[in-house]
Amino acid sequence: MNDQWTDRLSEYVDGELANGERVALEAHLATCAPCRGAVAELRQVVARARSLEDRAPQTDLWSGVAKRIGAGQVVDIRSRRFSFNVPQLIAACIALVLLSGGGTWVALHKTSVATDTTFTSQADSTKWVPVAVWSGRTDAAIADLQEALRRNESRLDTSTVRVVRENLALIDRAIAQARTALAADSGNAYLNLHLADTMRRKLELLRRVNAIASAQS
Amino acid sequence: MPRQVLEVTLTADSVAADAALAASGDASAFERLYRAHVNRVHSLVRRMLDADEADDLTQDVFVRAWDKLSTFRGESAFGTWLHRLAVNVVLARRKTLGVERGRFHSGEDPLEGVSGRRETPEISMDFEEALANLPDGARQVFVLHDVEGYRHEEIAQMLGVVPGTSKSQLHHARMALRRYLDR
Repeated sequence: MNDQWTDRLSEYVDGELANGERVALEAHLATCAPCRGAVAELRQVVARARSLEDRAPQTDLWSGVAKRIGAGQVVDIRSRRFSFNVPQLIAACIALVLLSGGGTWVALHKTSVATDTTFTSQADSTKWVPVAVWSGRTDAAIADLQEALRRNESRLDTSTVRVVRENLALIDRAIAQARTALAADSGNAYLNLHLADTMRRKLELLRRVNAIASAQS
Repeated sequence: MPRQVLEVTLTADSVAADAALAASGDASAFERLYRAHVNRVHSLVRRMLDADEADDLTQDVFVRAWDKLSTFRGESAFGTWLHRLAVNVVLARRKTLGVERGRFHSGEDPLEGVSGRRETPEISMDFEEALANLPDGARQVFVLHDVEGYRHEEIAQMLGVVPGTSKSQLHHARMALRRYLDR
């Protein structure tokens, strides 16, 4: 068996021959027993290769790996770079903030009578005043940062910009809802705190994204 | 494409979570990843390189993976990423050793001297022994294509050859192993 088709049998087995060549080879196979046998054996080799089982090393290699990567020692996470990209980090941060803040808020509203009583009691007994006082200066700071972001957006990739916009919109909705709720219950300590915290997060997000965008220049 | 990654004991989600934890410096998470993948990595290294190099190079692969976890973006399965990294480590090692010379051997009987086939349950070991005795080029291509499932275009890129060379080497390897199986 050493004809013009011998070196093409693997390609035939792998289905890589052009249609015309395949037809011609199959015509040859019909009359060439050695080539038919070779094809069958090549298929057997391929099947054997695919069925090879992975085997464990004879000794446990982890201890050597662990020693080299410093496992068991205190790892300074600042020395390692995280695998998350900017959109993932932003999304995770915002989701955490809103889920925790918003979730608590919703929970409080669902048990409004008892909870409000608790807050009122605390406020009465300690003359508690909401620590979050929102001012026009903060609104101005946010406006400045949003304007800076608008100018910097071109330095960020589109997926980052999209995530930032989506999360800013999410924050803005949370802020609007908090303000609406506060309009009906201006003395609610939790709502004041939640609004302040959400605004602070918005400031942080804008500062962070602007810093990232600036670093891209 | 590489063959489907076998996550035997861990779900894809937990592997991804461990990859993220390991990237943040969690060595325990990285050990779980090691346990889940070491057999496959070691087998790949052993088949593409000499058995006595396999332990050291397997450790090199995981140390490199630890250092490079920041580049793992989760766009592919962790096992696929690790496997490709292992291939790169092996190829770099082979280049260092200078064993690439003569790797595109096209001799008629590259398995001359390999022991004969044994009709025992250890037959897969015989096949692996025959595989280990292939010329370097044919061995690399055979492992990457038939064992690991890479395409000729991918193999050609890895090895710096044209796809036709990869096809030719694969055929030589198969024919040699076929003859071995005939014995």
